[in-house]
Amino acid sequence: MNGARVYVIDDDASVRAAIEDLLASVGLAAQGFGSTAAFLAHWRQADAAGDGTPACLVLDIRMPGQSGLEFQRQMQDLGMALPVVFITGHGDIPMSVQAMKGGAIEFLTKPFRDQDLLDAIQLGLGRDRDRRAQAQVQALRRARWDSLSPGEQAVVRGVAAGRLNKQIAADLGVSEITVKVRRAQAMRKMQVRTLAELLRLADPFCGTYTAPP
Amino acid sequence: MLASLRPPARVRRALIALALGLAMAAIFVADTLTEYAVAAAVFHTAVILVAVRWFSPRAVVALALACIALTVVSFALTPAGLYSVGLVNTGISILAIAITAYLGLKMVAAQAAAHAAQARLLQIARATSLGALTGSIAHEVNQPLAAIVTSGHACQRWLAQQPPQLEKAGQALQRILADAERASNVVTRIRGMARGEAPRRQRFDLEEAARDMVALSRGALDARGIAVRWDAAPGLPPAWADRVQVQQIVGNLLLNAIDAIDAIDTAGPGGVPEIILSLRRPGPEQLELCVTDSGIGLDPAVQAHLFDAFWSTKSQGMGLGLTLCRSMAEAHGGRVWAAPRADGRRGASFHVSLPALRDNAA
Repeated sequence: MNGARVYVIDDDASVRAAIEDLLASVGLAAQGFGSTAAFLAHWRQADAAGDGTPACLVLDIRMPGQSGLEFQRQMQDLGMALPVVFITGHGDIPMSVQAMKGGAIEFLTKPFRDQDLLDAIQLGLGRDRDRRAQAQVQALRRARWDSLSPGEQAVVRGVAAGRLNKQIAADLGVSEITVKVRRAQAMRKMQVRTLAELLRLADPFCGTYTAPP
Repeated sequence: MLASLRPPARVRRALIALALGLAMAAIFVADTLTEYAVAAAVFHTAVILVAVRWFSPRAVVALALACIALTVVSFALTPAGLYSVGLVNTGISILAIAITAYLGLKMVAAQAAAHAAQARLLQIARATSLGALTGSIAHEVNQPLAAIVTSGHACQRWLAQQPPQLEKAGQALQRILADAERASNVVTRIRGMARGEAPRRQRFDLEEAARDMVALSRGALDARGIAVRWDAAPGLPPAWADRVQVQQIVGNLLLNAIDAIDAIDTAGPGGVPEIILSLRRPGPEQLELCVTDSGIGLDPAVQAHLFDAFWSTKSQGMGLGLTLCRSMAEAHGGRVWAAPRADGRRGASFHVSLPALRDNAA
C-alpha cells in the first residue's frame, strides 16, 4: 500500500490515535487532525505541493466548531475531490442520507468493525487513484493539444467535423497540400497512428465546427 | 379508606342534580310566598356555585337560565308587597345569578388551564433535563468505547504479524486501559449527577409531600378519569429526608403509574383506572410509601430490568426515571422496589422506603 495517505479528523485524541494505529498496523500512512480547520490548513500546503498521492479522509461528524457534514459541503465548494468516510457516535437516518448524497464513501457508527473501516478506506483510495489517473490523462491530452499550432488545431477541428481536405482547404483559405501537412503534423504531435485515435483524443477540445459561408 | 366507600362519580352527580332541583324548588316557593321586599331568588346563586363544580359549562348556563326563568315567574305570582320594590329586587336577583354563573365558569376554566400547565411542567422538567443529559452521555461514553474497540483491533493485528509486533501491541493495550479508565470516569460522573447533591435532610410530613405531587399531576389524572385513593396508616411519624428528592421520586412513580394505565386499552376489562397511594410504617425509624396502579402490570422479563439505566418499555422513554429514583432513595439509606399488586388484580406496586424520625413530641 505504498503512496497512499489517510487523513483522520476527530476531535477526540484517543479515537484519532486508535485509528491511526489501526491503519499503521495494516501499513497505511495516517495523519490525524483535531479539527477541520487544522486539516484544511495542512491540505492547502500539501495539495499545492501536488505530490499526486491518492488520499482518503476519515471524518467525524460531531465536533466542536465545524461539523463533519458542514465540512463536506465546504469541500464541494472548494472543489476538493477527496473521498470521505464518515464516522459518528450516534448517527441518525437524515444524517446518513445527507452524507451519502454528498458523495460519502461510507457512514460508520462508532464503535465500528475494523474491517468495515479498512474496506471503506480502500474503496476511497481506489476511487481517488482512479480520479487522479483520469485527471492525469486529461492533463496529458490537454498538453498535447496545446502543443498544436492554431492552424493545425483548425485542421483537426475540420476533420472532426467530417469535412474533406479539399473543403477544409477552402474553409481556411489554404492549399490542400498545407492541410495534409498540418494533419500529419497533428498526428505526430498527438502521438497517434490512426485517424480514429486522433479524433478520440482531440474530441474534448474540438467543440462545434462552423464552416465559413 | 373513607374515599373507597364513596359512590361512583355518576351516581354522585345524579344525587347532586336532585339536591339542586329540590333547592331550586324550595327557593321558588319561598320567593313566591314571601312578599316582594324579600329577594329570596338571590339564593339561586348558591345553586349555581355548586353546579359549576360538578357540571359542564353548557349545563351550568342552562341551569342559570332556568333560575332566571323561575325568578321571573315567581315575581309574576307573588301576591303581596310593593310592586316597584319587587321589580328592583327581581332585577338584582337576575343580575346576581348571571354574574355568578359567568364568574364561576371563568374560574373553572382557569383552574383547568392551571392543571394542564402543571402537568406539562412536570413532564417537561422530567423529560428535558434527562433528554439533554442522555444525548451528551451517549456521546461521552461512546467516544472512549469506540477508541477501545479500534485499539483492540489494532492490537490484534500487531500480534498477528510475523514476527508479532509486541511493542506496538503493548502501546495499543496501554491506550485501551487509559480509555477504559476514562469511560469509567464518565459513568462515575453521571452517577454523581443523578444523585445530585447530598440529600439535605429535614423533617416533613410524607403524606403532605405526596399530596403536593398528586395535585401537580391532577391535570393528567383528571384527563384520564383516574381515581386517586389514599390509604395512610394513622399516627405516622414525620419523614427525615430531602423533601425535594422525595417529591421527585413520588412524581416519577406517579407519571409511571399514569403511563402504565395509558398502556392498557381503557375500554378493556378491569373497571375504573385508579392509583392507590398507601403509607405505612414497617419499622420504628422507617416509612414506606407505595404507589399502586391499575395499569398494564409487570412482566417478569420487564421486572428484571426495571432499574437498569437506559432501559425503558416506553417508545419515548430514556430509561432513567427509576434509575434516578433508586439512586436518590439509596442516598437516603432507603430503597425502591417493584412488586405485582398485593390484591392480585392487574397492575403494579412501587414501594419506596425512607427514614423516619423516631416518635417524638410532635
